[in-house]
Amino acid sequence: MSPYLAVAALILMVSVMLMLPLIPAFVELHRKSDAQPLKVVQQNAGEIRYFATSFREYIKELEPVLRRCVADAITATGTLPDGEEYVALGLANEPLVLALQQRDATRPVLMAVGTDLIVPPEATFSRDIYARGQFIGGEKNNYRAILGEANVHLGASSHVMRWVHAVGEFTADAGCRLNGRISSDSLIRLHARCSFLRLNAPRIETGSAASDGDAISPNLIFPTSVGSASSERFLHDGDFEVQAGHVIRGNVVIRGNLYVRSGARISGSVKSAKDMVLEDGVSVEGSLISARKMRIGPNCAAHGPVVAERELTIAAGARCGTLEHPTTVSAPRIEVEEGVVVFGTLWAREHGGVVASQ
Amino acid sequence: MIYVLYTIVFVICVYTGRHYWFTLNRLFGFQRHPYVDIDTADWPPVTVLVAAHNEEKVIANILDALMTVKYPTDRMLVIPVNDRSTDRTREIIDKFVEDFPHRIQPFHREGGKGGKAAALKDAMQLVTTEVILIFDADYIPGAGLIKQLVSPFFDLEVGGVMGRVVPLNAGTNLLTRLLDLERSGGYQVDQQARMNLRLVPQHGGTVAGVRLSALREIGGWNENSLTEDTDLTYRLLLNGWKTVYQNRSECYEEVPEVWPVRIKQIMRWAKGHNQAMMTYGLSLLLGKHRATLRERIDGTLLLGVYAMAPVTLVGWALALGVFYQGVAPLHGVIALLSLTAYAALGNLAAFFEIAAAARLDGTRKRISLLPFLILGFAVSIFSVSRAAFSQVSDLVTGAEFHWDKTERFRKVL
Repeated sequence: MSPYLAVAALILMVSVMLMLPLIPAFVELHRKSDAQPLKVVQQNAGEIRYFATSFREYIKELEPVLRRCVADAITATGTLPDGEEYVALGLANEPLVLALQQRDATRPVLMAVGTDLIVPPEATFSRDIYARGQFIGGEKNNYRAILGEANVHLGASSHVMRWVHAVGEFTADAGCRLNGRISSDSLIRLHARCSFLRLNAPRIETGSAASDGDAISPNLIFPTSVGSASSERFLHDGDFEVQAGHVIRGNVVIRGNLYVRSGARISGSVKSAKDMVLEDGVSVEGSLISARKMRIGPNCAAHGPVVAERELTIAAGARCGTLEHPTTVSAPRIEVEEGVVVFGTLWAREHGGVVASQ
Repeated sequence: MIYVLYTIVFVICVYTGRHYWFTLNRLFGFQRHPYVDIDTADWPPVTVLVAAHNEEKVIANILDALMTVKYPTDRMLVIPVNDRSTDRTREIIDKFVEDFPHRIQPFHREGGKGGKAAALKDAMQLVTTEVILIFDADYIPGAGLIKQLVSPFFDLEVGGVMGRVVPLNAGTNLLTRLLDLERSGGYQVDQQARMNLRLVPQHGGTVAGVRLSALREIGGWNENSLTEDTDLTYRLLLNGWKTVYQNRSECYEEVPEVWPVRIKQIMRWAKGHNQAMMTYGLSLLLGKHRATLRERIDGTLLLGVYAMAPVTLVGWALALGVFYQGVAPLHGVIALLSLTAYAALGNLAAFFEIAAAARLDGTRKRISLLPFLILGFAVSIFSVSRAAFSQVSDLVTGAEFHWDKTERFRKVL
């Protein structure tokens, strides 16, 4: 082989070797198989009722069937245009109840019910349920999703896998596991040992919460002209303690642990860069933000959003938000005693639980 | 010469370690999104400033989008800041004002100093709300974005908020695809890691917010700054305010589609960033203020990112010089091992970061374009170095900075 040819061959070989890793890049550049802009959530603004609203739209196909079932008190079965099997019930009648009398029975089809429905215990509903009337579930049931146009009541130790929306009140008896989104247009009530992730309703109660009259409302403590609208802040490096019964007019930012002793009142917002502890009867007009753990003591009241970056515990008698000014209570892990009321959203990213009050 | 080279190598290694730290934190660390779950609240009044200079191609898109966002309409005022536009920008804005008279209040600026910061500074006379959001005109906010950007302001420690920008024209050509990957790495990994680690997330000046009282406390917009966002980040930090990053507050933007526009853009960023480094670097690192030690270190490193390009070039030149002088750096074996270790890990740090970002974004095949990023980096390193050298010569000659607007590529409506 001539030396020139050898050099040319060497250059060619080296070039090919250098180009080899670039082949997938050139292929992708040419084909543009993954060239779309990243999907950004443009329209669905994280609305908790998104699934319920979509399902209500979807179930409209069944409206004529459901109406006929109610009028004739019959049960109809069929298939929706997308291939989903359904059973439409005019009444919560004998056949349905009888069919589910066996333990661990599974309903693998979508159920639409035109009237009130009472579901026996220990059944699994692996498809969505639509209930136009009251929905009363038995104990130890498993549900995928429920849309109730009236009240929805789940028996003890039931399990929801995706979502529930009740136009009326939603109640879960002790020991229910509520994964996904639970919402109501009027009230959510959870009893002891219930677990949850995301709840939204004008009023959320745990256990048998005291009436509003028993709680201190932040609205009643400070004139409305004072509060979080003022942005002046008291900034402190290190731990800080607000003495019992003290009144602070303004915002408080603490770059350490914060202890707010019994009966103290703060007319602005509060932030702690570490843990925050609110003792009995503390009220805060603005937001409560803790970069670590937060404990809200008995009979405390917070008007604005409550956020703990690690853990949050709320003791019996505490109130977050008001009916007129709903708010968000959020943390990765939340433990709520019975007797707490939250107006708005209660959102535990990892685990939320209701415990018996001490 | 050799000691200068050692110093440069050390600094490069620090930045390499930083890349790895951020990437590993994003892949395996605790992720902070403290405000993203605030979906119900007594939402405060907010002013949305839309910076617009000759934006006839894009201004209608953003105003349309802002009129459909989910935020109480009586609590949101949009102020398009029309900065001396000579195209149809004013006409388009005025048409929107006719359609939404109570929701849009225009600010038509006829003269004054050039630049976004100067325009925003003048527009502040119309702002009365505590929360201000800022968008460039080529952005398209989604329905929930305003609430997401407002929610961190419930935290009284927060002075600034930054959302994530996502290229809308990502698939146009090689440049836009590379910028898409770069943005992904910069936001999905860099910014979020800084948020996770309580370092210094950077205010981007668009898809962003600022608290009025914080802005007043630090003296308002700095019209002499070429990058008002970087300037704002550091003045907030030095005055005890935090800037937070919201990775899930995503917004589409338009990235440059031709290299000359990209080069101009990155040169402006470099000059502005270096300007901030000269202004705040020393006081951030050593001054008496409320920033934590980790904020001081990260903030200083962040200020130095654009200075690293000329430093690297100098390092290469020195390495060649040392080689041809026959100087053996340190012990030969140690040098060889260090070189091997760096070649195996150091050079891959930025690629690792972008690959991790692509994985976190759930994209698959675009990652195969990664080798082409060498081209993007080469262009960046020379453009940024050129910007730095011209900045030094401007200092010597006394020439003034001038602000170059980034050209738009969307079709006129």
